[in-house]
Amino acid sequence: MRIIVGIKWVPNTQAVRFDPETGTLIRRGVPSIVNPHDLPAIELALRLRDSAGGEVIAISMAPPPAVKGLELALGMGVDLAILVTDRVYAGADTLATSYVLSHTIRKIEREYGSVDLVIFGQETIDSSTAHIPAQVASWLDWPYIYYVREARILDNKVVRVVRELEEYIEEYELETPAVLGVAMRSLKPRHVSLSNKIRARFEKKLIIWSNNDLKLDTRCVGLKGSPTIVAKTIDMPEVPRRKEVYKPRDARDAARWIISRMLEDEKLRELLQRTLWGVKS
Amino acid sequence: MGCKVLSIRVECDKLCPEWPCEQPEEFRDVWVLIEASEDSLSEASLQMLTPGRLIANKLKENLVGVLVGYNVSHLAEEIIRYGADKVIVVDNPVLITYNPRVYSDIVVRLARKYKPSVILVAATRRGREFTPNIANALRAGITADCTDFDVDENTRDVLLIRPPFAAILLAYIKTPFRRPQVGTARPNVFPVPPKDESRRGEVIYENIIVEPETKIRLVSKVKVEKKELGVEKAEIVVSGGRGLGGPEGFKLLERLAEVIGGTVGASRKAVDAGWISHERQIGQTGKSIKPILYIAVGISGAAQHMLGVREAQRIIAINIDPEAPIINQADYTVIGDYREIIPVLIDELEKIRNMKMEEAISYLKEYKALVAAQS
Repeated sequence: MRIIVGIKWVPNTQAVRFDPETGTLIRRGVPSIVNPHDLPAIELALRLRDSAGGEVIAISMAPPPAVKGLELALGMGVDLAILVTDRVYAGADTLATSYVLSHTIRKIEREYGSVDLVIFGQETIDSSTAHIPAQVASWLDWPYIYYVREARILDNKVVRVVRELEEYIEEYELETPAVLGVAMRSLKPRHVSLSNKIRARFEKKLIIWSNNDLKLDTRCVGLKGSPTIVAKTIDMPEVPRRKEVYKPRDARDAARWIISRMLEDEKLRELLQRTLWGVKS
Repeated sequence: MGCKVLSIRVECDKLCPEWPCEQPEEFRDVWVLIEASEDSLSEASLQMLTPGRLIANKLKENLVGVLVGYNVSHLAEEIIRYGADKVIVVDNPVLITYNPRVYSDIVVRLARKYKPSVILVAATRRGREFTPNIANALRAGITADCTDFDVDENTRDVLLIRPPFAAILLAYIKTPFRRPQVGTARPNVFPVPPKDESRRGEVIYENIIVEPETKIRLVSKVKVEKKELGVEKAEIVVSGGRGLGGPEGFKLLERLAEVIGGTVGASRKAVDAGWISHERQIGQTGKSIKPILYIAVGISGAAQHMLGVREAQRIIAINIDPEAPIINQADYTVIGDYREIIPVLIDELEKIRNMKMEEAISYLKEYKALVAAQS
């Protein structure tokens, strides 16, 4: 079977810091990483391949530095990695991105043979939209399901998945080809192996496609193919808080200070009356 | 005096040929997709009637509830009581089990017929699953996890406001050339609107022929029993972060939560470390909550985490680091080791529980003087 796994190369949001002087965001020098929520998706793809045979192809639409991310996927054991990169793809929102990805998948089918599964991480740490799996499924008109924790291939071209909603655990069967969104933290990703990385480099397992290869109408990609426009951005308004800070003498002093603050604060006093003293309101 | 509306003409030859060429002025009304389960309307969906009403008033358009399911018709009037002007109902036995493709397909067909200018959806797990599929089929722009909405009165564009990056910026997003304008918001970002029992409106029953979907089948469904009130509903949340240093820290937080009448939450770092289940994660990749009191223990105050507690009425922080960013984002911060402070805090809370409140205030009166002296 042939499995595609989608990867996003994202700024490491955990490393983003405020400039205390200007109160603005320091974006420069923020390192990029493979979206951490994509790692369980890679792991799932590799496990399905290891049990059912076939190959895993990692794809990413991003500027050239994202080859580092695809090298990581190759190091984990994917068989082929394709970076889709072109200036005309810049500024894409999720509609335009999913358009390019779906055509990448179509081209893979033309060049390598039919695809059985497309697997994505559920969302990314930089924008958290969770749009891409459903949008790619829409362009391809394939069935899809989100929040997948487990998946196995049944022999009759069907994938059976377990997924989790707020109050239910559900099992679904999807006819392949299908698109899966893999639940965050659902699987522990395997380590990168150096020998995988070296072999991938030696066997030239990383290829780059541009719009010369995909030949997409430039009105459908990048900024032009994106219905959404960022009209403006502002710094997140600060929530007004009291900001009282206390350095206690000892733990007893700390505890009493906290409780006194609660009792002096009308909102918290009312709350404690109900929750601590059990007075019905 | 009335502003002149600058209506945009979309030039069809400049548009992606995969998109239908439509003019924004062809679209009107604000839709809210209402999920129903087990004979009741989803609270998260009803919450979306709040921003829906705001947008509908600014656009001077109707607010329309869209109810798609099986055996749901009797719930339609209820949506009107929560503020909708109209409700469109699709009630069909095929919808007895939810299927993202069937659900999306029905909404897409309705949207092609009625041409709403806005579609709002609660970002429940299901909402996050089917909404991008709907938007894509309509070739519409979609904006996830909005924290606010507004309308540009000159262009009639809806501004969909969301934190796009690391939760420290707010982006104002619009789709001036495309309609409908699709947006989602997390549960509990907006309140359920007040209910008016006397409110009346039109209910439209749409007989859509729904083909049973064969490419995806529900095999089994098991309800997960929740032992206690989830973090979403709790009035008090006692939350732990990386500063707890290990899973045993949460035992202490559970004891405090029990005494004070709350439940336990966590930061992403504590969840990633495997100290506690991800169900309890608060923040951008977790849940947005609005407790009356949030107690942040060993939580540094990263923007992604604080985004989830913006609506908390009060924040108390316990942190050993006097430089932690949380001290500028909390109402009351005490600097110290939680391992020492929390057992004593539990002890003191149990002590004052046996007093009358007036006695408790008097017992702690030296602190009142202390605050007066500081300010």
